[in-house]
Amino acid sequence: MKKRISMLLFFSFYISPLMAQDSVELFGYFESQIMGVKIKSDFYQLYTNKLRVDLKSNLSENITFAANFDYITYHGKKEWNILDFLSSGITSKVPQDKESDYELPFYNRNFLDNAYIKIAFKNFDLTVGKQQISLGTGYVWNPTDVFNIKDVLDPTYEQPGHNAVRLDVPLSTVYTITALYSPEDTWKNSAKLLQFKGWTSHFDYSIIAIEKLWRFHDYTQFNDENSNFVELPERRQLLGASTAGELLGLGVWAEYGYNKMEYSKDFYELVVGTDYTFDFQTYVMLEFYRNTLGKKDYEQYDINDWMRQFTAEQKAISRDQIYLFVQHPTTDFLSLGSSSIYSISDKSMALIPTLNYSLSENIDIMAYLNFNFGREGKAFSKISGNGGLLRARVYF
Amino acid sequence: MRNIMISGLIVLLLSPVSFSQELTGEDIIKKVNELFNPQTSWGKSKMTIMTTSGSKRTFVLESWSKDKGEKNLVRYLEPARVKGQATLMLNHADDIWMYFPRTQRVRKLATHAKKQKMQGSDFSYEDMGSGDSFINDFSPKRLEDEKMEGHDCYKLELTRKTDRDISYSRLIMWVIKENFYPIVIDYYDEDDSTLLEKRLVQSDIRLIDNIPTAMKAVMYNKMDNTQTEMEFLDVKYNVTLNDDMFTERSLKK
Repeated sequence: MKKRISMLLFFSFYISPLMAQDSVELFGYFESQIMGVKIKSDFYQLYTNKLRVDLKSNLSENITFAANFDYITYHGKKEWNILDFLSSGITSKVPQDKESDYELPFYNRNFLDNAYIKIAFKNFDLTVGKQQISLGTGYVWNPTDVFNIKDVLDPTYEQPGHNAVRLDVPLSTVYTITALYSPEDTWKNSAKLLQFKGWTSHFDYSIIAIEKLWRFHDYTQFNDENSNFVELPERRQLLGASTAGELLGLGVWAEYGYNKMEYSKDFYELVVGTDYTFDFQTYVMLEFYRNTLGKKDYEQYDINDWMRQFTAEQKAISRDQIYLFVQHPTTDFLSLGSSSIYSISDKSMALIPTLNYSLSENIDIMAYLNFNFGREGKAFSKISGNGGLLRARVYF
Repeated sequence: MRNIMISGLIVLLLSPVSFSQELTGEDIIKKVNELFNPQTSWGKSKMTIMTTSGSKRTFVLESWSKDKGEKNLVRYLEPARVKGQATLMLNHADDIWMYFPRTQRVRKLATHAKKQKMQGSDFSYEDMGSGDSFINDFSPKRLEDEKMEGHDCYKLELTRKTDRDISYSRLIMWVIKENFYPIVIDYYDEDDSTLLEKRLVQSDIRLIDNIPTAMKAVMYNKMDNTQTEMEFLDVKYNVTLNDDMFTERSLKK
């Protein structure tokens, strides 16, 4: 209730006066989707409706205000227990009275996803407020992006906004330095980022340094005081680099991030990818991802590994994986494709046939099925949710 | 996309007919290439895709070009689904970046991306001779002159050079003698040089800022029986454009 009042106040005080200006653009989309998952012998469904309203106003030639508001409602099976997707070897270790702690509820939400002011000075851009932060060149995984984790089934979906003050300083038409500060409760706990980016013929490259507090959880210990699992905050310092370009006619990219941890063991992440479009319009992409935080042997996966993956604290549970994506425009408005993820470490695989259809100029239909082929306990095990998703999105 | 930057050199219009008869294929394609790549240009275009079933999709886009086509920026204005999406091409489209406003992500693309259809249309980026493609990727040969679409034309055959990664084995081009404008271009299949894949027909040629410009171009896809129409809503040449316009910073605006 309090949140809704805040939103109304936000709209009354800030948006309404803006709307009175001629320069305000109002756009966005409505998205309706159904997701189905098979658990044991039953098939469960979760329906989602999402309304996203975007505002953009050029307050002057050099000042832009942009914001968006999301309203999401959930229907159908709104409470999922993560233990239902795990092997008996893992679930048997969870005491019966603690099983309900692993329920992941979907509550209706309304929130201000992004709201920022961007000021373009002659020699730099300053962006202040809640904004998207997109880092790295990887398609599915981004080792240098400590702010977001993409959904491997839907990697191009928009990422949430983050509170930040961002400074982009172009040194020439080729080089740019970016400095970003994302405030937390103290300076020490706040995220700081410095990136140098440039390009040469056929190649982009960047070097990046980030310090951020990583809020890991111990999913074996429940804190009754705040009704959540015990938090294990830890400072993470990342030094990384990325590149993207062309080699022998193929699109190529690579991204690396070395993570120095305050308490736990240091780790690194690496992505190497390539893509190509054939003359008959078929597009093929291959991406390899290594995360030394992931485990080589699936028998070592524990409840913490699974929970950290489900709650997007960690990008992958297994150490090495390959993503393959193939898409072909079957007609002018219909594209059929398939992506597959293969865990090299535990030798399990997910196959995801996809369909994208442009129903009209501003209506898209997207659908995918998800088939897992791994043995119980592996990253893509048969019991961890074969299913699919159907989404219709109307832009306005 | 490149048709929105089409222009011509006035000097070509003054060329005597007697001289033109001695022109080789190389001479003609060089002049066509110059016409396609003016010093600077700005345009607003409407692209309409028409399928066999009668379905239509319309896009409005704005584009800027500088240094005789060496730098290009294209931004979609309509429909809402793609609004704000932008493509930056530098070094005659050898370096390509795409910006997706929904994710605020800039992605560097390899040149093979030029083979992809523009928003599902019958145009791919390479169809319009992006950069210096007509010169760099093909070897020209002058054929017997012909009349096409009511114009006296030079007829050229452009055969793909052996080391080039281009989707067509050859092109046949009809170039208006009067102004070196390529009024019709036939695109032949990559493997079968006798199989006509697509035909581009340009029309409504007007003199804009003293440069001949086709206000309309239709690409007929002979394989799928579909067509895409590109129409200029506005166009200007010799506009002032800074280099800053062709950077990632500008792409995100």
